[in-house]
Amino acid sequence: MMLDLLVIGAGLTGLMAALRAAEAGLRVKVIAKGMGALYWTPGTIDILGYLGAEERAVQRPWERIHELPERHPYRIVGVERAQEAIEWFRIRTAELGLDYGGRRDGDNALTPSPVGAWRPSYLLPAGQRAGDAEDGRPMVIVGFQGMRDFYPHLIARNLEAQGQAARAAVLPWSVLSERRDRNTVQLAEALDEPKTQQRLIDALRLVVKPGERIGLPAILGREAHSWVLTALTQELNAAVFEIATLPPSVPGIRLATALRRCLEERGVRVEIGMEAIGFHAQDGVIELVETATSARPLKHRAKAFLLATGGVLGGGFDSNPSGRFWETIFDLPLTTPQDRRRWFRPLFLDPRGHPALRGGVAVNDAFQPIDVAGNVVYTNLWAAGGLLAHADPIAERSLEGVAIASAVAAVEAIKLGSFAHA
Amino acid sequence: MAPVSWHSVDLTLDECIKCNICTSHCPVSAVTDLFPGPKYVGPQAQRFRKGGQLRSPDHSVDYCSGCRVCNEVCPTGVRIAELNARARAQIVAEKGLPLRNRLLGRNELLGKLGSFAPALANFALHNTFSRFMAEKVMGIAREAPLPTWSTSGTFRDWLKRTRDQRLKSHKKVVYFHGCATMYYEPFIGKAAVVVLEHNGYEVLVPEQNCCGLPLLSNGEFDAARTYHRNNVSRLAGYARAGLPIVGTSTSCTLTLKEEAPELLDYHDEPATTLKLGTYDIFEWLRELYEAGELRTDFQPLPLKLPYHAPCQQRAHRIGKPALELMALIPELELAESHARCCGIAGTYGYKVEKYQIAMDVGAELFEFVKAQGQDARYTACDSETCRWQLEHGTALPSRHPIEILAAAYGLYDLERRDVVAEKR
Repeated sequence: MMLDLLVIGAGLTGLMAALRAAEAGLRVKVIAKGMGALYWTPGTIDILGYLGAEERAVQRPWERIHELPERHPYRIVGVERAQEAIEWFRIRTAELGLDYGGRRDGDNALTPSPVGAWRPSYLLPAGQRAGDAEDGRPMVIVGFQGMRDFYPHLIARNLEAQGQAARAAVLPWSVLSERRDRNTVQLAEALDEPKTQQRLIDALRLVVKPGERIGLPAILGREAHSWVLTALTQELNAAVFEIATLPPSVPGIRLATALRRCLEERGVRVEIGMEAIGFHAQDGVIELVETATSARPLKHRAKAFLLATGGVLGGGFDSNPSGRFWETIFDLPLTTPQDRRRWFRPLFLDPRGHPALRGGVAVNDAFQPIDVAGNVVYTNLWAAGGLLAHADPIAERSLEGVAIASAVAAVEAIKLGSFAHA
Repeated sequence: MAPVSWHSVDLTLDECIKCNICTSHCPVSAVTDLFPGPKYVGPQAQRFRKGGQLRSPDHSVDYCSGCRVCNEVCPTGVRIAELNARARAQIVAEKGLPLRNRLLGRNELLGKLGSFAPALANFALHNTFSRFMAEKVMGIAREAPLPTWSTSGTFRDWLKRTRDQRLKSHKKVVYFHGCATMYYEPFIGKAAVVVLEHNGYEVLVPEQNCCGLPLLSNGEFDAARTYHRNNVSRLAGYARAGLPIVGTSTSCTLTLKEEAPELLDYHDEPATTLKLGTYDIFEWLRELYEAGELRTDFQPLPLKLPYHAPCQQRAHRIGKPALELMALIPELELAESHARCCGIAGTYGYKVEKYQIAMDVGAELFEFVKAQGQDARYTACDSETCRWQLEHGTALPSRHPIEILAAAYGLYDLERRDVVAEKR
C-alpha cells in the first residue's frame, strides 16, 4: 500500500507533522538518520525570545510576530493559526502525561539556563515551572560532586549577578549512583527507582533552607518523572524545579519518547538509522526517496514528502570550504549566501545572528519549497521546521514554535488535496 | 598480523559533535563501568590512535559488544561500531589473542568437528563437568547458551537426502545458510528452502564458507579475509549472473554486504558484486511482495508472538521486513520489541568476564517478553545467537521468522521444527 506521506526527520517538526497527518487519516511514515534534535533541547516550547538586536527578552511573543521578516514562517502561518497549533500541541502532550504550561498572562517565562542566564520560553514542562524568575523566592541550586555537565556554583553566581537570590549546594555522587560515571539519561533512569528517590530526598533535607526553591539538574526520573517531582515537592515541602543540562537533555528526551510512543500506538512507524541519500523525480513530482542500507539503496515511495531535516545542526544543510552551502537531500534552492565570507558576522554572539543561519529553504504560503522566481520546485514536496528560510530559530529562541506551527501548516496544506494530482 | 588501515570509517569521526546520544543509548555502558560508552572509546579515543602505533590508548574498547546501537542512533553518521572493531583488531595485533577467542571465532570448524559425532559432541560439551572446565581453563562462561549440534544430520545432508523432491525452476535463488544452519539448526534452512520453493524458486546452495564475522568481532582480521575471499570467489559469479543471494542469518548477510568489505577494505569488483547481490531473506521476500509476486496463501496462525529485530538485522538499515511480512499472517498477534539488544552480541556473552554484562543488557528484552503474558508461547528473532540467548533469558522457545512464515504456508511444524508433508 502506497504511503500518503513520508516525513523525513524525527525531530519535533517531523514527529508533530506525522501525528497531525495520522489524525487526519493519512498513511504516514517517519524516517530519520538518527535520533532527532529533541535529545539536545531543554524540552521547553519557545515561541519568540529575542527580536532583532534588542538585548531584552521579548515579553509577549504573540504580540511581536508582526515585527519579524515578512516571509518568516510565523508570518506565513499567521498568529492565530500558530496559536492554535501550539494549543493543539499542549492538549496532545497533556494526553500523553506531559503537563506543559506557561505564565497565565501569555508572557514568556524566564528560567535558568545551564549557565545561569534567564531563558525566555513560552511553555514549560511541569518540572521547570517553579524556576520562573517571576516567582522571586530565593533559590538553592543543587549539584552533585563529580557530575559532568552541571555546575551549580556557576549557575548560582550568574543568577545572583542578575538579582535573583541564589546559592549553590553540592551533594555527594553516591546519593545518585554507586557507579563510577553516569550520564544524565542514566541518572534519570536511576531516579526512576524509589530507593534512589528516597536517598535524594534525605540528602536534600540536610541542605535546603525554609522558603528556598530547589533547582536540580534535569534528571528527575525518565519514566517516573511526574511521580518524582511530586514526591520531592511534598516530602521537602518546597518548590522543586529542573534546569536543563548539556546534552543529552532529559526533558527533550521525555518529549521525544512520548511522541514516538504515541505514533506507534497509532500505527505510524518511526524508522531510525535511515539516512536519505537520493531521490527520483519526474516532471516535477518526487516518486521516491532512497536511504542508505548495508548494500543497495532502499526506496521509499509516497504520494507526498515532507522535509523536516532541521537546520545546520539537525543535518538539513551541509557546506564545504569552497563556500557551497546546500540542502542535503533534494539540493533545494536556498536563500543562504553562496559565498563563505558572507556566512558569518565577525562576532560569534552578534545579537542579529548570522546570515548562514537565517538562510534556508524558501517556501510559498502552502509550505512548498520554491525557487528564486517563486515557482514550486516539486509539486508533492513540503518543508517545515528548522530548515525554513527567513528564521533564525536559535537567535530568535523560536525553535519549537516554528517547528510545531510550520509542521501543522504544512500538513494542513497537504490535506487540502494539494497532492491530489501527484 | 597485517596493519589495520584507517580509511572511510576513520573519516566519519570528524562528524562527531559530542552530543552523547550514543552514550545514552549504549546498552553495555548502561550496565557496567567497564565500558565507558561509545563516544569515549570511539570517536574520542580514536584521536589518539594512529596507524602503526604500538600501544592502544583505550583497552576498554574490548568491552564494546559490537551491537551497533550507537551507529543506529547517531544523528551525524559516525561509524562508531566500526571504529571500535578496528581498534580491537589493533589490540589483537599488538597483544595476540587468547585461545578462547581463537576458538570462538571459528564456529565453522567447531561445527564441522562436532558433526562427525554430534551426540557425542553434545554430551562432551554440554555436561556440568566440561562446562566447568571450559570456564576454568578457557574462560567460556558455564551458563552461557552454547548451541547443540544437530543429531539428524547437517543441512547439506538433508539437501542431499531430499534432492529428488527439490523444486527445479527457471527462477533461481542462491541460499547462504551460514554455519549455525549448517551444523546446529538445519531446520532453519529447511524452512527457508520450502518458503522459497513455495514461491516458485529453485534454491541453489553452492559451497560456501563461514562469513568471517566471529573472526572480525574477535579482532582476527587476517583469518576473516581468507574466509571472505573464499566466499567472494564462490558466490560473486551467481550475483553477476543476476541471481539473488539470500540468507537467514542476519549477521552473515550483513558481513557479506558491509562488514567484511568495510573492515577489511575489501572493495574489488567481485566483492562489490557479491555485496550488491546479497539480501536478508525477508528483505528479498518483501521485494517480491511489493512486486505482487509473493504468495499470500497464509493459514491462520493463532499465536501471540513477541518479535525482536536483532541488532545485526537493524544494522542492515532496511526497516523490519520480517515484521511487515509476518503481519500478513491471519490471527498472528505480533508484539514488537524496542529493546536495544539481547546482550549476547555473537560470542560476547559466551565469555566468562562478559556473561553477566550480556544478561544485564538482555534484561530489557526478557522483561518485554515476560510482559506479554502467558499467551506468548514462542518468541521470534532473526539471529541464531540471539534466539539462544532469548531462550536462555526467558525459558520460552524462540523461532526464526522464516519458520513462522513456513508454518503459515502450512509447510512447517513450529513445535517439532521440521517440514511437514515431506514425500519420502
